[in-house]
Amino acid sequence: MSIGSARAGSLSRRDALRLGGSLVAAGLGSSALAACARAPKQGSGGGGDQFRIYWNAGHVYDAYAEIIERFEKDHGVEVVWEKFQWEDMRPKLLADFESGNVPDLVEDPSAWATEFAVTGNVASLRSYIDSDGAEMGFPDDWQEDTVRRYTVDGQVYGIQLHLTSQQLIYNKAMFSDAGINKPPATWDDFLATARELTRGEVHGCALNYDYTYSTPWLLQNGVQYYEGSELLVPRDAAVEALQFQRDLVHKHKVSPVPPVSTDYTGPRNVFVAKKTAMIFTGPWDIAPIKEAAPDIDFGVAPALSRKTQATIAAGTGVFIPKGAKHADLAWDLIKRMTALDVELKVTEEADMTMPRKSWAEDPKIASDPVLGAFGEGLSYAEDWWDALNRTGKRGAVDELYKSMYQQVVVQNKPAADAVNTFVEQATRQVKG
Amino acid sequence: MASGLATRERSGAGPSAAGPGRRYSLERRQRRTAYLFLLPALGFFGLLFFYPLGQELITSLYTGPRADRFSGLQNYAGSFLDPAVRNSFWLTLIYAAGVLVLTIGLGLLLALILNQPLRGRTVLRAVLLVPYLTSIVITGLLWRNILDPQVGILNRLFEAVGLPAQNWLLTDPLATLIGISVWQHTGYTSVLFLAGLQGIPEVYYEAARIDGASVLQRFRYVTIPFLAPATLFVSVIGVIWSLQQFALPFLVTDGGPGNATDLYIFHVYNVAFEFRDFGYASALSYLLLVVIMIFTLIQFRAGRRSEFA
Repeated sequence: MSIGSARAGSLSRRDALRLGGSLVAAGLGSSALAACARAPKQGSGGGGDQFRIYWNAGHVYDAYAEIIERFEKDHGVEVVWEKFQWEDMRPKLLADFESGNVPDLVEDPSAWATEFAVTGNVASLRSYIDSDGAEMGFPDDWQEDTVRRYTVDGQVYGIQLHLTSQQLIYNKAMFSDAGINKPPATWDDFLATARELTRGEVHGCALNYDYTYSTPWLLQNGVQYYEGSELLVPRDAAVEALQFQRDLVHKHKVSPVPPVSTDYTGPRNVFVAKKTAMIFTGPWDIAPIKEAAPDIDFGVAPALSRKTQATIAAGTGVFIPKGAKHADLAWDLIKRMTALDVELKVTEEADMTMPRKSWAEDPKIASDPVLGAFGEGLSYAEDWWDALNRTGKRGAVDELYKSMYQQVVVQNKPAADAVNTFVEQATRQVKG
Repeated sequence: MASGLATRERSGAGPSAAGPGRRYSLERRQRRTAYLFLLPALGFFGLLFFYPLGQELITSLYTGPRADRFSGLQNYAGSFLDPAVRNSFWLTLIYAAGVLVLTIGLGLLLALILNQPLRGRTVLRAVLLVPYLTSIVITGLLWRNILDPQVGILNRLFEAVGLPAQNWLLTDPLATLIGISVWQHTGYTSVLFLAGLQGIPEVYYEAARIDGASVLQRFRYVTIPFLAPATLFVSVIGVIWSLQQFALPFLVTDGGPGNATDLYIFHVYNVAFEFRDFGYASALSYLLLVVIMIFTLIQFRAGRRSEFA
């Protein structure tokens, strides 16, 4: 019997209101109950048997997809592979740290894990390494620097996944047309070469809007980002390196003004459009260049020298956030993803360079002119952020450095003033 | 007391069957029903709006990467001395003023044109709304690509007609963001003004014409006063929206070059997620809330005065 039939077949307004109210109350109650019912038990793997991975959107390779598929079958879990740009992943991850709802495995750039370990957000891998390290070749088969960058107070907080360095990529045909028979090796050579290659709309080189691309110049001039609680040491060398980049753009005009952007692809775009003959970049740009301009015959030259020959060691690693619900499984996936055969597959697929010594020694890699050149660069590549990561203040300092770099190289402001302001502000951040 | 009233109601006792007691009971029931209906909305806002606001207020009193060190009002006091905050606030005021003035001016002009008996007027109105209906993400990426000095289409067009190449994102970054926002919002503003224009009774214009008022005088003394409510709405919403602008610096300029487009909310975002200082970011957010409330109150006061005038 319906409510309406009890009142001579009609539903009064008051009854309708009561019914509505009851339904709302019931709805709220059931939602709350449903929410309670869905709440994961401690350690049960929350969200059912989902295993969550945060990954860089540019590193979604078939080789990893195959491993993840096998991993799902072997462990009966559903992997949720979430892809981000780095700048989107960081806020998501920090929000996760605050809420306690962290993913199981994270790919990170240039050892974020060390920065986050300082604030207690990353799980130590020490016990896993103690039991499985010898079998997987860790740390002996990894380049020493890649192990050091993830180690804080004897605890290892991440495993290097890709290892990259920036080198000079040049258009061989443009060099030949200009009568240049070898790539530059020093800053002076570089400026002279860039001048010869600059004609009309074509520039000899193209600097990047992304501040991280400025760091090899500083390393070549003997500058450390953070040393003995000071920033940009020695400061006059830092000023000189930034001033040199500024002059390339604004005084010598051998590089276009880096266009305002939110990514690093500007130089690559003008390189494939044959509007510049030289760019500094890493292996991540090789596949896109080959795809966009298969007709360009390009070479990879070693990094430049000033006081020393140097370039930046970058790449990515993987870490397990503290509180991850499937930490043991995450370690298993790390082992699978960092195996030598997987590294070689990823290289074949995407020209990515890798951290294992046995990868660099592989005959295929050593004989490849492009990969071999990047591989050689790893021998003198330095980690720009290592010391700063250990302060836990890298994010803040990098943000200030970015602004300083843009003021000098893009907006043509004097390097000395900008560097002094940066050091003052950044020192406050590190000490604060 | 309630049971007594109920007894009287049932027995028909009291001054009359429809007396104050019964009215009181009816009012109470209506109030209860009203609260019942409000419950979902109150629950929704309480849980997802006021609770986070309260949490944020508490967070604003702490400092450190995990916001776990109590610092009292230090975050608020420090913000007034922070040159980066002052810079971003100043930039945001310029941005908001630019967007507001241009959007209202152009929106009103377009509304006046569209209020004329033009052919294809309906299509034009729809077209004007397209930028507003387009996602801000698409708008940002679209303009970033159009304005790229090396591979953007705008410089190709300039080249084709013999104009010098632009690099506005470098030379005038804040003005460029203002331009993009004006492009996006003018259509919507014009539709609001158009609705206001169509609501003005023709009799006022006729009376003004009989009194010998010129076109400009009719605009000044009839149109503008009648458009006061629409102008108030547009300006209040415009100020709130502009002061909270985040997407354009995030998508188009990354706050640069240098700090040239480091708008307030974008700065707060960086303080939270790059500097990892959630306490300071929360305090900055609260200060913006206060600023927005002050602006809104001023606008309401000014709007009410102009309506009465």
